[in-house]
Amino acid sequence: MRLLALFASVCLALSAQAAAKKEGKKEAKKAEPVVKAVVPPAAPVAALGERAAIWHTWTDKEGQKVDAQFCGLSGDFITIQTRDGRTYHFKTDILVAEDVEFARSCLERNRQNSFSPAIIASAAADIDRLVGAVLTANKQTLNAPATDEQFLRRIYLDAAGRVPTAKEAATFLASTAPDKRAKLIDELVFSPGYTMQMFNWMADLLRVKDTFAKGVPAFTFEDWLKTRLAANAPWDKLVYEMVTADGRLSDNGATGFMLFDAEMPLDGVSNLMTTFLGTNMACAQCHDHPLAEWKQRDFYQMAAFFGATDGKDEALLSVINKIARADGGLPKAAVKKIADMNTFRLEDLDKQKLTFPKDYKYKDAKPGEAVTPALIAWEKGDKSLPAYNVSTKNPAQLRDEFARWLTSPQNPRFATNIANRIWKKAFGLGVIEPVNDIDDLSFASSPELMAHLTFVMKAAKFDLREVQRVIYNSKTYQASASATPDLGKGRYLFNGPVVRRLTAEQAWDSLVVTAVGTYADNVLLRRGDDLKAFALPAGKVTLAELKNAVDRGKKAFAGTGKAAGSKKAAGGSSLGLANGYEGDKPVSRFSLLLARASELPQPSPETHFLRLWGQGDRLLADSATNDGSVPQVLQMMNGAVGKLVADTRSAAVMDAMKEKTADAQVTSLYLSYLSRKPTAKELAVAGKSLKDGLGLTDLAWVLANTREFLFVQ
Amino acid sequence: MSHHNPSDLLRHPEDRRSFIEKCAKVSFGLSVLPFFSRIAEAAEAPGASKAPNADLPGFGKAKRVIFLQLNGGMSHIDTFDPKTGASKGPGSIVSAKGDMQLTSYLPETAKISDKITVIRSMTAKVGVHASAAYLMRTGFEQRGTVQHPTLGAWAQHFLGASHKTLPSSVTVNRSSNHGNGWFPAAYSPLPILNPNDGLLDTKSPVGEAAVAKRSELLAQLDVGFGGKAVDENVKSYNEFYESTFQLMKSSDLKAFDISAEPAEMRARYGKSKFGQGCLLARRLVENGVRFVEVAIGGWDMHASLDDRLTDVGGDFDRVYATLIQDLDAKGLLDSTLVVVATEFGRKPSFEGGGRGHHPLVFSSVLAGGGVKRGYVHGASDAKGYAPEADGVSPGSLHATIAHAAGLPVQTDIITPAGRPMQVGNKAAPQKGVFA
Repeated sequence: MRLLALFASVCLALSAQAAAKKEGKKEAKKAEPVVKAVVPPAAPVAALGERAAIWHTWTDKEGQKVDAQFCGLSGDFITIQTRDGRTYHFKTDILVAEDVEFARSCLERNRQNSFSPAIIASAAADIDRLVGAVLTANKQTLNAPATDEQFLRRIYLDAAGRVPTAKEAATFLASTAPDKRAKLIDELVFSPGYTMQMFNWMADLLRVKDTFAKGVPAFTFEDWLKTRLAANAPWDKLVYEMVTADGRLSDNGATGFMLFDAEMPLDGVSNLMTTFLGTNMACAQCHDHPLAEWKQRDFYQMAAFFGATDGKDEALLSVINKIARADGGLPKAAVKKIADMNTFRLEDLDKQKLTFPKDYKYKDAKPGEAVTPALIAWEKGDKSLPAYNVSTKNPAQLRDEFARWLTSPQNPRFATNIANRIWKKAFGLGVIEPVNDIDDLSFASSPELMAHLTFVMKAAKFDLREVQRVIYNSKTYQASASATPDLGKGRYLFNGPVVRRLTAEQAWDSLVVTAVGTYADNVLLRRGDDLKAFALPAGKVTLAELKNAVDRGKKAFAGTGKAAGSKKAAGGSSLGLANGYEGDKPVSRFSLLLARASELPQPSPETHFLRLWGQGDRLLADSATNDGSVPQVLQMMNGAVGKLVADTRSAAVMDAMKEKTADAQVTSLYLSYLSRKPTAKELAVAGKSLKDGLGLTDLAWVLANTREFLFVQ
Repeated sequence: MSHHNPSDLLRHPEDRRSFIEKCAKVSFGLSVLPFFSRIAEAAEAPGASKAPNADLPGFGKAKRVIFLQLNGGMSHIDTFDPKTGASKGPGSIVSAKGDMQLTSYLPETAKISDKITVIRSMTAKVGVHASAAYLMRTGFEQRGTVQHPTLGAWAQHFLGASHKTLPSSVTVNRSSNHGNGWFPAAYSPLPILNPNDGLLDTKSPVGEAAVAKRSELLAQLDVGFGGKAVDENVKSYNEFYESTFQLMKSSDLKAFDISAEPAEMRARYGKSKFGQGCLLARRLVENGVRFVEVAIGGWDMHASLDDRLTDVGGDFDRVYATLIQDLDAKGLLDSTLVVVATEFGRKPSFEGGGRGHHPLVFSSVLAGGGVKRGYVHGASDAKGYAPEADGVSPGSLHATIAHAAGLPVQTDIITPAGRPMQVGNKAAPQKGVFA
């Protein structure tokens, strides 16, 4: 591979750096815990510094050069991004040695800009102290520490999104280093699996879907999100970039989030409030709820911040259609793709157009009257916070003003919302449940813990990796798991994480890695760049420009076996995607494309393992479930996935076959599937069955079908 | 800040006693995290357990429902609501059994029209396929902030599972698209994309002997997981694997296998996906599945309406008449409600060789499950442009089906997001259609 082939065009625009924000005050809300615990305040956590993007001119072994930003390095693979927003993922061996060294130093620089071990230890200890105080006050105790085996499996699933391989498991279990848990945490949060599992988690929250509206492909949005996650972009910057994104879907993938709701902007605002602030305004969208706190006027005043934002360029659409109709010779599918990629765009007009609905029935505003934008507040003092100092004078600036308030550390819910969700990701339950309705902070099982997590989130400057490092290093996280609590009997006070069924993505990714090994960690799907070929230049659109775009599209999709704009290209089938993969290509067995869930269609088709096991349809935020169904079990036992497990080509089976004794073979499979060694009894039972005619593939099938495999303790 | 948001009910342990938990375990699917999917019944007033519509005619007569969704928008004027004058289509008007008129595109239906109720005053505002189909399937307009359940899920919520091993609802020829709405995912209909394939993966790829050995080993090795205090969800999955093993051995699976039907019966239903889908639907409801939806495409007749009605409409006509006759002959029609639904009607005027979308008035057809035999409910105006009097909304059609199925209509439940919702979106059932 050559760099020249990789980098088609490199422009030199500078990426704008978001302005540094001041640290907000710690939340001062008082609320009643289950039984009030007297807790001394948590120790202050020194804030992280701002992280600068690392730009570099990369040189390959043939002397070709390209200017690009360092995004990530995992194993032999590097991810970089050029100034036109394209990302590239490739083996470092094509680079000159100095650049490989430079990439390593970049990674090191990123690691150094993390919390120091001392800060991690102190912030984690505060979690333990706060949880402990509430437990003690309620005459409960923390669960016993998790065994190394339990911790191993849990941290791999939580931080890398899959179970460890037999080799990875054996290495950790054999280590006698006193800090081996902390070391493993650090290793995993910098592994490629970290980015993949964060993408899955965020895709469910942000409703990442291959197509929106009438089949408009959102691949540029997916690519953008993956790149930002690979670069570990802080949550506040990520959200700011999505909410303020301008331009066409073809040029700026970040527009995808807002464009998803372009045809239903009010629903979009309601969704955005729930996703980023944990505020439930869905009722207020249509009426004052007699019992709820938000009024319909509150909702409209918030929505007015988006009242000047336009999602679809109807004028351009009609020009494109007119030209296409007049010519008649342009391929319809390609014209639709050109129209989709160019007319879905975010632009702020100079007029705020939102008015109160014609059937508005309250006295606080008149039907049809223009809405004046205003921010909601939760507590009396909120509005005196500097973050509330927004200007509503310039309609074209409304969205930016809103985003500054939204993502400010002073926003009364922004940091708490994401801290609560990240906590739930690790423990199975939020400190406040449900996580999509945290308007009333006193519902927290421990308000002090919620406040501390919010504080850590702010100190980490919304770096989700750092916050998770803190959580993972706590004794609370490293305690053995609790059985699913009956919340009907009272709140859960976090005696440890809750036993959980693997998410659909965790189960799938674990099965993929047991089938093909860690190879799958470097198979990356990026489908947006081809679509950029359909971008029209700014200015007046002519027939010639349209023809050029059609030709560019043809070239981009040439040899991919998928017609431009065909359903397959839009992710209708999980096969036929192979050309969207950068670097390594995925293996395919039993009609299953063995890439990790993040590198497959978003979401997968309805009959795919992932959907059957609860991957969401992504129409609403938090649509994933852990529910069970008969077809799940049937597929696991008899379907393609069952065959995949009980296959002689399986990496886990081949690893086991390398062992010389039956005991060692059984042990290897146990490590592959359950991350532990078998007990003496299990060895005897499994050994006997191997003598009685079952093979290692049968044993693999059996282990994959145990409840122990399906659940994380 | 107020503490009276209905969703607060879900968080106050002391209030939980008054909740009805419907979601915990159902045979075909289960909700492994009960506390996330708890749905509250709003008013638990004395006597509230009795549905407010329980004393009205037709309540609970339909033990099962077959919902035929004609995708594309069936032209009412060219099928169940023939018109003379400028609106008239290429078909002629035929006097059918049961004192009603149909068009010549429905000759077989005309022979069984003494068993059906035609609603000619359906009305809605949505003229876009996907949103209108959503409205007809759920009774609610599509929104970006909430997903509404289909009737099968509502029924499962109020009535529980319909069978110990089979699913309570199934969709044929269409993916289920999470028809559970806010109910547990386990209430989502089981999708059968190809009626000839039936339920997938019911047979192990290895021989019976190997299956037996594998399952024996699985039972031995999986026994200790979780220790003494076994997690509720793990326990659920344990029971669940059990029931799957049972199902694999069970004769209930035959419900999914239309090849078990006599050749003559398969021929009567015809080889089309719709025909075989309806045959599968009949087998499923016969065996204990409560709600089956069968989808058929091809009704978006902007052009070549005559040809396509002959083709697509002809297939529908034969299959539909066969289904009604078959159910009646088996004595199942009185307890099985068959619904013909489509997202909208088509314009009285012709544009080219076809008609455009027209949601203002269209037709739906009900048969069996306690509705009148040989009856026309409501009417469109002379042109077929608008309902003559009050129209029947998709919500009201849903309330009507729900009433027939024995569900409480105009009764709030509180969704997990704290929003009060009713089956049929607050609309009242059409009392007039019931015998």
